[in-house]
Amino acid sequence: MKIPYYPGCDLYTKAKPLNDSLKAVFGAVDVELYELPNWYCCGTTFNLTMDNRMSLIAPLRILARAQKENGVCLVPCSICYNTLKRANYILNQDSEVLKIINEHLGESYDGKMKILHPFEFIKENKNLFKNAVKQELKGLNLGCYYGCYLLRPKQEMQFDDPEAPTIIEEFVSLIGANPVSFPLKVECCGSYLIINSPDAAIDASYKILKNARENGAEALITSCPLCHYNLDNFQKKMMETHPDHQPIPIFYFSQVSAIALDLPQEYWGLVYNKTSPVEVLKRHKVL
Amino acid sequence: MRQLKRDGEFINRLAEMTNQRISDCYQCGRCTAGCPFAEYMDEPPNRLIRYIQLGLKEEVLKANGPWFCASCLVCQTRCPRGVDIPRIMEGIRTFHLRSKEQILDVDKIPQDVLLDAHPLVLMSALLKYS
Repeated sequence: MKIPYYPGCDLYTKAKPLNDSLKAVFGAVDVELYELPNWYCCGTTFNLTMDNRMSLIAPLRILARAQKENGVCLVPCSICYNTLKRANYILNQDSEVLKIINEHLGESYDGKMKILHPFEFIKENKNLFKNAVKQELKGLNLGCYYGCYLLRPKQEMQFDDPEAPTIIEEFVSLIGANPVSFPLKVECCGSYLIINSPDAAIDASYKILKNARENGAEALITSCPLCHYNLDNFQKKMMETHPDHQPIPIFYFSQVSAIALDLPQEYWGLVYNKTSPVEVLKRHKVL
Repeated sequence: MRQLKRDGEFINRLAEMTNQRISDCYQCGRCTAGCPFAEYMDEPPNRLIRYIQLGLKEEVLKANGPWFCASCLVCQTRCPRGVDIPRIMEGIRTFHLRSKEQILDVDKIPQDVLLDAHPLVLMSALLKYS
């Protein structure tokens, strides 16, 4: 099976471990992820004003190109997934807006692309992935962190219950590890506040990590490169303002899958983790 | 006693920008209760909404709340009246930014932050603050 995927601005840069491990994991179950031709930026965070439709232009062009490839496009980055899905929802519901932007761009998109997140694909093809697991990570307690972008707004995302989602827990069980659900799993990591109000963002991340640890997590998994950046990169700074913080590694879900499928270590991408996962993985005899 | 100045045009403009019926809010406070950043705001989200209902333009534009809103949409998910508060926050931010008021000047971001920053974080911040 061949499916186009949309890398966005970060899968080749900051989120390289997500890209490498995801492609390897899908490759191991004979699903070839190939880069969507001629893609460009989705526009990052979705513009929330209603009197300006500029933010639909980039998504429409991306969706129109994706549709020429396949009716389905896989979008691993949570932010791109959110932006493209929200834009697609409007284009699908509002034929007038769809017409205006199509005419403006000289495209003929019909608003019917299906945008899938890897979690949804894995859920739909459960056995494919389950049968490929080579080393069950029994006893590894993985905190399932969702963040905002996958879940909200509910009506447009149609991903999972925005307050009590379970799709990541199901994924963790599938690869043989122990899912840890914790109250702050749907709370914001601080997002772009890290640029202008870093204290507020670091404080938000600290609360999430503390809550995960108190509920028994040894590491966290996420699919959002922005959450990964905030949660992983700033743990040293976190210790300056919150001396009781204990480092906790943050994985992309695909990194843990690559470990469970026992793929070569180059695909695990552990060298990119700022908070070292070595101790946790040694404890569970993975390393 | 402080004299409050009501500006009806401002409410209408904000309602148009955000496509929200701001009068629907009945001040239950769930938005503020769930907001991860309410503690940093000088006026919590529900009070900001009340100011808008009253047309208190000056109070609304002076508040720092919109700059601490991370658009995480928890309040939107929990509002029992279906008021999309993040859209209103974006509306207030946009009102400032369309008046050419910059909050984030890219030249003033420290070099180490700029070099290390995730492209998504940087782009999002620039979209929301400039």
